[in-house]
Amino acid sequence: MSHLVPAGQDGENFQPHPQDLARLREARAVLRVGVDYDLWLDRLLRQSGNAAIQRGAPGYIDASADVALLDVRAGGIGPDDGHAHGRGNPHYWLDPANAGMITATLLEALARLDPANAGRYEANRLAFLARLDAKMREWTQALRHVPPLIAYHDTWPYFARRFRLRFVGVIETRPGVAPSPAHLASLVRLAAAERVGVIVREPHEPKRDADFLAKRIGARIVLLASGVGAVPQARDYISLIEYNVRALK
Amino acid sequence: MSEALAFLVLPALACTALVGIHAYFGLHVLKRNVIFVDLALAQVAALGATAAFLLGHSPQGPAAHAYALAFTLAAAALLASSRSWSARVPQEAQIGVIYVVAAAAALLLVDRAPQGAEHIRQILTGNILTVGWDELAWAIPLYAVVGFTYPLMARRFTPGSWLAEFAFYAAFGIVVTSSVALAGVLLVFAFLIIPAAIGLLHAARFPTQLAIAWIAGTATAVVGLALSYAGDFSTGATLVCTYGVALAIAGVAHGLRLPQARGAKLDVAFRFARWMVAALLAASGIWIAIAPQADQPVLDALERAFPAIRAAYMDDKSRAIRADADAHAERYRDDALKLRAMESSRRWQGEPLDEAEVRRIASFQKSYNEMIRGEEFVMAEVRKRAREAKRWWIGAAFLAFAFSVVVSLPRRSRTTPAGSPRPGGMAPPADGDPRARR
Repeated sequence: MSHLVPAGQDGENFQPHPQDLARLREARAVLRVGVDYDLWLDRLLRQSGNAAIQRGAPGYIDASADVALLDVRAGGIGPDDGHAHGRGNPHYWLDPANAGMITATLLEALARLDPANAGRYEANRLAFLARLDAKMREWTQALRHVPPLIAYHDTWPYFARRFRLRFVGVIETRPGVAPSPAHLASLVRLAAAERVGVIVREPHEPKRDADFLAKRIGARIVLLASGVGAVPQARDYISLIEYNVRALK
Repeated sequence: MSEALAFLVLPALACTALVGIHAYFGLHVLKRNVIFVDLALAQVAALGATAAFLLGHSPQGPAAHAYALAFTLAAAALLASSRSWSARVPQEAQIGVIYVVAAAAALLLVDRAPQGAEHIRQILTGNILTVGWDELAWAIPLYAVVGFTYPLMARRFTPGSWLAEFAFYAAFGIVVTSSVALAGVLLVFAFLIIPAAIGLLHAARFPTQLAIAWIAGTATAVVGLALSYAGDFSTGATLVCTYGVALAIAGVAHGLRLPQARGAKLDVAFRFARWMVAALLAASGIWIAIAPQADQPVLDALERAFPAIRAAYMDDKSRAIRADADAHAERYRDDALKLRAMESSRRWQGEPLDEAEVRRIASFQKSYNEMIRGEEFVMAEVRKRAREAKRWWIGAAFLAFAFSVVVSLPRRSRTTPAGSPRPGGMAPPADGDPRARR
C-alpha cells in the first residue's frame, strides 16, 4: 500500500507528482476521502487509464460512502459561515464512531478484490474497532469539561459532535480568504459572551491570526491534528485522536 | 466606533510605517524600471528560510532569519551583477527568472518537509489586520535604520557602479523580506508602486514626489481600512483595491492639471462619460432584442436597484408566479437554516442526535437545496420569458434612453476659457508637471 498524499500534508490542496500517476496505473484499488475533499484525484484517475480503479469499478473505494454527513448546504445556503464543500463537511473521519462505517466500506471492497483473505480483513477490522471502543470511553471522559472553542477553519464538527464540544465560531469563514476586521470584532464579542477559552488551529494554518485573537480574548491556543502525520505524535488513527484529546484536556 | 478603532489602530500604524519606507524605495524602483523586484526578493527570502527549516532550524528562529537574509543578499548581488546585461536582456526578465526559480526551488524543498508549505505561506502571506506591537517594535526601527543609512551610503558610491546597485538591492531586500511577512505580497506591492506612482504623476522633484506619495499612501490606507471594517471585507484585498482606485483618481486629477483649461478638460471628461453611458444603454437594448434569454447585466443591475422596473415588462400572472417562487425559496432557506441551527446546537447540548436523525437532516437539507434551486429556476424562467415577449419594447426603451442621454448633452462651447492656450501657442508650465519642465 502507498499514499498519494504524504503524511502531514494538506490533502485538500495537494499537487500530484508524476510518480503518483505511475502508482495509480499499477494500483488494484484506490481509497479516497470523497465529499469534494480530494477533487484533484478525479483528473489523476482519468489520466491513469486504469479501468480497475475508475469510479464504479471494484477497485474504487470512496470512504465517505454511507457516512452521515454534517453541514450539507449546497445551493448557497449560509454563504457567510460555510465550508467550501457544498456536499457536506468532509472531515468525517475525526468522529471515531464513523470508523465503523469507513472500515465496513473498506472491508467490503477488500473482500470483493481479495476474497481469499476476507476473513483476515474482517478479524483485523473487529480488533481495531474493539481497541477504538475501549479508547472512546476514556476520551469522552477526558473531554467533559472543555470550555467553548473557536476554530481557525471549520474542520471539527464531527469531532465536536462526538465529544459534545461547543465550537462557537471560525476565524477563516471562506477558505483562503483572510478574516475581515468586522468578523474578528464579532468573534471577540462572541468569545466574551460565551467565555471561549480555547482557539484551535492546525499546523498548516496561519499562526498569526489565531495568536491575535487569543491575545484579545485571553484564550489559549491548542494545536490539533486533522490527519495522521500532521504532528509527530499522530502516528496512526488512534494516536491521532489520542493526541487531539490530550491537547484539549 | 471605539471597537473599530481598537481593531484598526495598529494596522493603520503599520500602514503608515510601510508606506513611509516603501514609497521611498518605490520611487527608486519605478526609476530603475524593476517593478517586480520585491516579489523576487521576497520569494528568495522564503527559499532561504525554507532551506533553514529543512536543515532542522526553527521556522521563526534566528537561524531561519539569517538564512533568509543571506539568500536575499545573494540575490541582491546577482541583480547588481546582471545589471550590465540589461542592454541585451531587460532586467525585468532577469527578475522574473529569479522569482520563478526561487518559487519552484522552494516547492521542491517543501516536498521534503511535511510542514514546509505552511512555513513558506507564513513568510509570503502576512495579514496587516493582525499585526502586533511585537512585530512593529522591530519593523519600525528596521525601516528607520534602512531609511536613514541607505541614502547616506548611496551618496558615497558612484551611481551605476556594482556597489551602488548592490547597496540598493540589499537595503530593499532587507525591507521587503520583513514587510511581506507583515502585510503579504499583494499589499506590499501596492505600498511600493502606487503611492510612488501618484508622487511621480504630480511632482517633478524627488522631495515633492516623496511627500505626495507619503500623504496619498497614508490617506488611502486609512480609507481602505475604514472600508474594510464598514463593508466586512478582507483587509489586505480591500486596501489593494482602494490603492487602485486612488491611482485612478490621481490619474484623472493629473489629466485635469495638464496645461489646458480645466473647464475644457472637465467638459471633455463629462461628454466622454455621457457617450459611454449612452453606448452601454444602446448596446444593452440591441443585446436584449437579439438574445433575450441570455445574461442581461445592465437590465439585471437596474432591476436590483429599482425592482419596480419588472412591472414594466411582466404581466400580473408572471409577477404572481415569480413572487410565489421567491416566497417559497425564502421559506425553504429559512427552514434549512433552522434545521442546521438545531443540528449544530444538539452537538453539545440536549439529547444528542443519533446517526439516523443526522442522515435524515442531511437528506432534508439536500431536498431543501434542490427545492430552492427549483424555485430559482422558476423565477429565472418567468423573467426570461417575460423579457422575450417584450424584447422589442425593452430594446426600444433602452435605445430611447440612450438617445435622450446623447441629445441632452449641451452643445460644445466655442469660447476659449481663460488661461487656456491659444491655437499654436504654448501654455505656461504647470507647477510640478515633469513634462512641462523638460
